[in-house]
Amino acid sequence: MRLCIGIVAILLVAYIGLIATVVSYAALTIEFSQSVRNDEAEVAALESMYLNNVERIATTDYIADGYIRPSVTKFVPAKSATALR
Amino acid sequence: MRAQFRSRIRLVLAFIIIAALGIVLRLYFVQIVNGEEYSLKADRQFSSGGSGLFDRGVIYFTRKDGALISAATLNTGFLVAINPQILSDPEYAYSVIFEAAPSAISREAFMNAAAKKSQVYIEVAHRLSEENGRNLSEKIIPGVQVLRERWRHYPGGELASQSIGIVSYGTGDTLAGRTGLEAMYEDTLARSGDSLYRNFFAELFSNVGNLLVDSKDAREGDIVTSIEPEVQTRLASNVKKLNIRYSSKESGGIIMDPATGAIVAIASYPTYDGNDLKSVNPALLGNSFVEHVYEFGSIMKPITMTSAIDAGVVTSETTYNDTGCITVNAAKLCNWDSKARGIIPMRQIIMQSLNVGASWLADRLGQDKFRSYFTKLFGEKTGVDLPNETGALLGNLSKPQQVGYDTAAFGQGIAVTPLQMIRALGALANKGEMVQPHLVSAIRLNSGIEREIDWGKKVRVFSATSTRETVAMMDALMDEVLYNKKAKIPTMSVAVKTGTSQLTNPEGGYYKDRFFHSFVGFFPSYAPRFIILLYTNDPKGVQYASETLDAAFLDLVHFLIDYYAVPPDRGIPS
Repeated sequence: MRLCIGIVAILLVAYIGLIATVVSYAALTIEFSQSVRNDEAEVAALESMYLNNVERIATTDYIADGYIRPSVTKFVPAKSATALR
Repeated sequence: MRAQFRSRIRLVLAFIIIAALGIVLRLYFVQIVNGEEYSLKADRQFSSGGSGLFDRGVIYFTRKDGALISAATLNTGFLVAINPQILSDPEYAYSVIFEAAPSAISREAFMNAAAKKSQVYIEVAHRLSEENGRNLSEKIIPGVQVLRERWRHYPGGELASQSIGIVSYGTGDTLAGRTGLEAMYEDTLARSGDSLYRNFFAELFSNVGNLLVDSKDAREGDIVTSIEPEVQTRLASNVKKLNIRYSSKESGGIIMDPATGAIVAIASYPTYDGNDLKSVNPALLGNSFVEHVYEFGSIMKPITMTSAIDAGVVTSETTYNDTGCITVNAAKLCNWDSKARGIIPMRQIIMQSLNVGASWLADRLGQDKFRSYFTKLFGEKTGVDLPNETGALLGNLSKPQQVGYDTAAFGQGIAVTPLQMIRALGALANKGEMVQPHLVSAIRLNSGIEREIDWGKKVRVFSATSTRETVAMMDALMDEVLYNKKAKIPTMSVAVKTGTSQLTNPEGGYYKDRFFHSFVGFFPSYAPRFIILLYTNDPKGVQYASETLDAAFLDLVHFLIDYYAVPPDRGIPS
């Protein structure tokens, strides 16, 4: 009789433990998933910033900013450092 | 005693039969009458996949160093919904919501929504930032719900937007890719369920096979394009500038690797920002690079020249008598300045862009050979990975009138898409072989495997020797003519050709004062890294492409040489 009660008690504890594990697993999965999404959104914000900076540099009017266009452009016939590529 | 026992047995039996009937009836209602409803309910409880949050794969740009930068990704935040049945103080609720989300619906619309007491869920604000959403959530206003939300986000805004495409509801209630790569790679980018939210133990009991090897993981993933963000930005900036400067109807440009067909940049203007679809002109959602055809004008002449050399009807040493104008099938065809040049060699057809010379080449080729070359070059769609690609209009080449061939020789009377044009011109740069233009280089599957896409299909159109002779003519144009002879780069050979064509009018003829300008160039001329095609449609106050597009072209050439450190191919002491 005692043995039966013992077995039932063990099964009950195991059952409750299993439920707790499943619930915790689900909660952690959702939490991690959202954390990944939040990180991705932060990366996207950084990427936006990078692309905005690239655009700002590409569209900068250096003459309007006070730089003077060179009067003569001379191409130097030197071997490129990357010529071997 | 026995009779009493029997009656008891019958009673028990009747009870069992009634109970059994009850169970059968219940099962009938559960499985047959309400089966679908219970099935859905069970699915939701069991798999817990229905989080309802939008999910989709990422589209990447590829920087020259191989780093991936998102072109289309997901942003996360919050939406606000109200339950009018519980909402007791709409005025207060609106003031708090509006403070957190200035883009929320108008006050009047909010009050109308709050008055709908028969409803329990009405969304009133979207795309709240993480911080604003959490702050609003902490205020705990009865009847106001702050819920997680994800949406498509394009970090580059307008950058390559017409090729990247958009995601929208369309006519149904499903968010899906509608244009550009978003539509083309829908099967890869779409997500059928969020695997991160799946119940491991539920899956363990129900679907062990999928838990170990999920078929979705072999299909779903992210896509990697060959678009380089800094080159794309530079091209887009140049295209925008020239379109604004000349008040053109539209302008566009493509930069491609002529050896592989990988598109490094593709930009058009006007364009739109995929993050702000409310203010997008629907006419801009299409992609003019594959959906529109244009008569490109004189950038067709190098193709005519190469065809004639390849067919063996002329050599670069051949001469002809340029009369300035010719009459073909009662149509008068003239050089751009209507002036005669007398007896001149072939290279002058390219260097001076002589229509009479191009027509002379078409005559020498003959209709069958001319049609054969042009059908090989433009008769089929490019197969680029963009939706709704259209074909070229080559009707004049199936008629017997010679004038159709003579005008096609200098790019009038036949119309092709910009991608067909750069693909055909790419054959000159690529020693006679035509490659397949493409935007996507690889697919990164969720399983972790990166699958390179094979775009190796090549079509030989010309021999390498015939293209070399034409390239030498285009090279001389850059060194000796372009930009008042100031375009020459001593350390880099660049092959170019400009094109100016008259625009068609609604009566079927051509405007005398409205033009389509085009410009093509590749460098280094004899082993090109890049081919650039630029065009602007209906620029105002200017007649020739050499006036509108040469500055933008030269800027791009110098930028690419610097950015990629393209080694010089001439002018170096041995």
